[in-house]
Amino acid sequence: MQYYLLIPLLPLGAFLLNIMLGRRVIRRQAHWPSTLAVAGSLVVTVMVLLDVMSGRTLNEDLYVWIVSGNFKVSVGFMIDQLTAVMLVVVTSVSFLVHVYSIGYMQDDPGYYRFYAYLSLFTFSMLMLVTANNFLQLYFGWEAVGLCSYLLIGFWYEKRSASDAGKKAFIVNRFGDFGFGLGVIMVFLTFGTLDYVSVFDGAGGVAAQTINILGADVNLITLIALLLFCGAVGKSAQVPLHVWLPDAMEGPTPVSALIHAATMVTAGVFMVARLNPIFSLSPVAMDVVAVVGAVTALFAATIALVQNDIKRVIAYSTISQLGYMFIACGVGAFGAGIFHLYTHAFFKALLFLCAGSVMHAMGGEVDMQKMGGLKRYMPLTYWTMLIASLSISGIPPLAGFFSKDEILWVAFNGGGVGRAVWALGTLAAVLTAFYSFRLIYLTFHGEFRGTEEQRHHLHESPAVMTVPLAVLCVGAVAAGWIGIPPIISSVFGVEDANWFAEFLKPVVGHPEIEAPHSTEALVMGFSVAVAAVGIAVAWVFYIRNREIPAVLARRCGILYRLLFNKYYVDEIYNATVVRPAMLIARYVLVGLSDGVIIEGVVNGVPALINRFGARLRRLQSGLLQSYAAVMALGLFLLMAVVVMVLK
Amino acid sequence: MVEWFFGYLAGAVILLAILVVASRNPVHSVLWMLLMFLHVAGLYLLLNAEFLAATQVIVYAGAILVLFLFVVMLLNLREEIKIRRFTGGWLFKGLTALGIIYVLRRGLEGFRVGFEGPWSIEAVGRATHTRALGQVLFTEYILPFEIASLLLLVAIVGAVFLSKKRLR
Amino acid sequence: MNEINVSMLAPLLPEVIMASAGILVLLVELVARRKETAGLLSIAAVAVAAYYVPHSFGKSFGGMFVSDGYSAFFKFIFFINLILTVLLSMRYLVIEKSNHGEYYSLVVFSTLGMMLMASAGDLIVLYLGLELMALSSYVLAGFIRHDARSSEAAVKYFLLGAFSSALLLYGITLVYGLTGTTDVSLIGAAVVEKGLSTPLFLSVVFLMAAFGFKTALAPFHMWAPDVYEGAPTSVTAFMSVGPKAAAFAAFGRVFLTGFGSLSTDWTGILVVLSILTMAVGNILAIQQDNIKRMLAYSSVAHAGYAVLGIIVGGAEGLAAMMNYLFIYGFMNLGAFAVVIMLRSEGVRGEALEDYKGLAKTHPFAAAVMLVFMFSLTGIPPTAGFIGKFYLFKAVVGAGYAWLAVVTVIFSAISAYFYLRVVMYMYMLEPEGEAVTLSLSPSLGLALLITTLVVILIGVYPSPLLSFARLAAG
Repeated sequence: MQYYLLIPLLPLGAFLLNIMLGRRVIRRQAHWPSTLAVAGSLVVTVMVLLDVMSGRTLNEDLYVWIVSGNFKVSVGFMIDQLTAVMLVVVTSVSFLVHVYSIGYMQDDPGYYRFYAYLSLFTFSMLMLVTANNFLQLYFGWEAVGLCSYLLIGFWYEKRSASDAGKKAFIVNRFGDFGFGLGVIMVFLTFGTLDYVSVFDGAGGVAAQTINILGADVNLITLIALLLFCGAVGKSAQVPLHVWLPDAMEGPTPVSALIHAATMVTAGVFMVARLNPIFSLSPVAMDVVAVVGAVTALFAATIALVQNDIKRVIAYSTISQLGYMFIACGVGAFGAGIFHLYTHAFFKALLFLCAGSVMHAMGGEVDMQKMGGLKRYMPLTYWTMLIASLSISGIPPLAGFFSKDEILWVAFNGGGVGRAVWALGTLAAVLTAFYSFRLIYLTFHGEFRGTEEQRHHLHESPAVMTVPLAVLCVGAVAAGWIGIPPIISSVFGVEDANWFAEFLKPVVGHPEIEAPHSTEALVMGFSVAVAAVGIAVAWVFYIRNREIPAVLARRCGILYRLLFNKYYVDEIYNATVVRPAMLIARYVLVGLSDGVIIEGVVNGVPALINRFGARLRRLQSGLLQSYAAVMALGLFLLMAVVVMVLK
Repeated sequence: MVEWFFGYLAGAVILLAILVVASRNPVHSVLWMLLMFLHVAGLYLLLNAEFLAATQVIVYAGAILVLFLFVVMLLNLREEIKIRRFTGGWLFKGLTALGIIYVLRRGLEGFRVGFEGPWSIEAVGRATHTRALGQVLFTEYILPFEIASLLLLVAIVGAVFLSKKRLR
Repeated sequence: MNEINVSMLAPLLPEVIMASAGILVLLVELVARRKETAGLLSIAAVAVAAYYVPHSFGKSFGGMFVSDGYSAFFKFIFFINLILTVLLSMRYLVIEKSNHGEYYSLVVFSTLGMMLMASAGDLIVLYLGLELMALSSYVLAGFIRHDARSSEAAVKYFLLGAFSSALLLYGITLVYGLTGTTDVSLIGAAVVEKGLSTPLFLSVVFLMAAFGFKTALAPFHMWAPDVYEGAPTSVTAFMSVGPKAAAFAAFGRVFLTGFGSLSTDWTGILVVLSILTMAVGNILAIQQDNIKRMLAYSSVAHAGYAVLGIIVGGAEGLAAMMNYLFIYGFMNLGAFAVVIMLRSEGVRGEALEDYKGLAKTHPFAAAVMLVFMFSLTGIPPTAGFIGKFYLFKAVVGAGYAWLAVVTVIFSAISAYFYLRVVMYMYMLEPEGEAVTLSLSPSLGLALLITTLVVILIGVYPSPLLSFARLAAG
């Protein structure tokens, strides 16, 4: 099964090729190596998937870099059901985005650079999901962060883009700091960083506590929460969600791949991968579920009033990631991964459609200046409509099955489960609403842009629309491998939730003892509220278009609160950024210029230099004095020996 | 008695060695060296190594030094000039040297001769010195002997190369 | 043992090949029109000798010559040193107008001396090997006869080398007097039997000083900067790797086999020497603006690191040291290869100034130099990191955690002058005329080999580690 190595190595090769020869040799052909490489990875992934489906999983250290006692730095791969799913998601979406970008990035001066970064990202993401130890996970984690930073700031000449890149990087530092601490704690606790050994040992330390500032904290809870910090940052959960909307400054294919389908889901993947640790700590699990639920609702409310087409989808991403954490938090890791998998298709589709719209509109992102685009770009319209139906949870589209499963397990989750379910269902209404608000504002009604833009309107080229169509198939049908028994039994199939069965060996599956009637009720309720959301959006934006404005006036405070994203950025600015800047400017600079930094940075070398200059005088170039120094050294050594031994 | 002889010879060797480096006239230096080699030969005699003593006189004093003398005279070297930069700090250097001698003297007080090999003075005497030396050199010490021959080869190559007149 | 027969030469087969090659190269030099032929011949001889090294294990001449894993590992370092040096030299000698075939012969003889040192089971053989190695290097140091700096380097090296030889002989004499033997393992047995005494310890100090001279441990390092700077750059590269490794080989064998039972007593002195060496090497390297001199001090500092292996002792320590020297050979030769590349007709290319903006004018050369500077600093994923990591690991494992901390601090200081080269290359603008590179196929090959190996060992060190561990016994 060694051929699995090709999966990460092909994109790595493409990256090296493009970064070394891209500028001079490959230039406008840069898409070839990258796209072919990821296509190759996709093919191998399918082969690996078939292997895994026939029960052949694998966990091996490919090579050990350095060993020191228990500490081992190695590159190892763990190919199991969970990895296989992630590999499918990453390679397939990545492949489609590669193809799409051929059209989208066509005339960009940094064409080769774009493809190089894209390949590097794909490689890092694949290394992250195939890791069999924490250190490799951590490196992959940081590497995808780096690629994300490079790609957000891809148009670095644009101030907002490079600022957004920096913001993403810095906000992620907060999460990664916790994550890094978590990895260190894992090593200190278990003495190893190998997944399997850690999971085996996790049960043994479940009851251990550690004293922090006088309070006894459960060790596993501490580790789980620290690791979860990283997930909060990477998956843009409250309160570290602020970077993702700004990340939309990057090219749209990047938003689709990195900031919707793959990298941001790394947090969910990590929690699912480390489920043996998380499962041992009820506290951490509740935290995960509550953070997820709060984020799901919180981001959905903001999305209601945004006008930037990409930001609406970005907030929707944050919200959907919240759903995935809800699932993980109530112990249904499989359901979380299922949603991750369906979400990758319909969210990537949404972004690519938005990209297609922007392409037609000459880079315009304000939905208030769009409208009536349905006529000009029917294919984009239909695919985006299907994606929106899917995300709203309308059966039988993919989103319905995954979201329904999450809400159902949350409903039966016990503890915080019901509350989380309530938040999730509320968020589902809002999801349907803002998704269709986007559709109606963009594609229906009258065109509100300039004449020039109208003149320019066109459907995107085939190289962009074909990936849309393919993703559309996914957005429709991806969920059909996880049909709950209650529905499949109607068609005479007893157990059609193959997805959950498939993942069960890795992440388990919560057994739910509840009557079918309840399940039908819950399911019907969530579909009904989604329909209500869509209907309200129709009323607001098609039927009676004055309502939004009136509402905004009436509930001015609420509107402004939502429109300004709860002022989170401003709050951070006031409480974290400004004080940090002030400290940096006055305290540190003031102190350091004179004393600390000056002293350390300049003083030590200066001291060494002065000392060195004195030593240097010994090196006179005179043979006699060299011999004398040697003789003196010999004399001193001998004298010490004689004195000590006497 | 033997100690006195040794003391004289060793002291003379050191003194003569200093004179070799210290005298300004190169011809004088060479002559001091000749004297020094003779005293070294005396040391060998003291150790019952009459063959080595004879070789020392014939090879070093006889052949090599004559060659030295030829070279010095051919080159027509004048008296060495004294440059303060090169001779400074003699107090410090001298003290270091004395210090080393003192420490060695103190340190070697407890010197006890270790295990004696098969070639005791009696054994050497019985086999005669020349024969014993030849036997050991060409059997037990054949490897060092051969390495020494390579060493001489390198020395010749180096000397020839460094003194070749024509630079290509 | 009075029987002498040819079969006794079997363990010496690689040495015999090298000796024959040295003489053959001398003869070929007379007839060959292109002197490079002599160089190629020496490389071919090394290839043959290297092939026979693993097939010639055993003792010979009554234990005077020992061919074992330990010596084999070092011999591979010497072979690599020779091959890379010859590759570096071919074009360089032409530029320096000193293209003579004797050069290659001397390199071969010097390497033969190193091999004998690594295999010496007897102090006499050790001394003769050392002299063979040293005598050849003295001549090599003065090889550019029309350059006063080169001649000065040769004279300094010769006189101070003779001084250190005297120390070595004095030490050997004392040991012989105390134990009645010059055989290293018999000395070990005698020392165990007789225990510690002041005269014995004095002889240990003498030997330490002599080996300290050859490995450039402070305060016996004084010759190194002047000689390294003055000697032809290719010879400096050769001397900074081979003789140093050979001296460490002998150092390790004599001290751990011969005086192993006294290790608790002499490690203290070595610790002091090691720290002093690291301090002197690193601090003075900061002061240099000539890159050859900077690398000379860096070579002193690296001796301070490598000697930690002997302090730790045992298979663990020796393996770490061997590992380190192997890696050091590649990265140092690589760095010197870049220095040589900058040397062209009329341009010395040794000043730090010459590296200004190299990344702009010659991005490839700058990138390669960057790899070597990173490796010398010990930044992962280069080989230098692996070398340091396992050295530190051994040091910490032996209970010298504080020493490891000191080493790390000096390592951090060393980053200053290594990365300064990088800074000059990448952050400063080129000044005046751009330096021209004198890249020849052989030099390119040397650069390719060193760069690849430095990176390869950096990412995949386990074969080297297990080889060193196996060789250390």
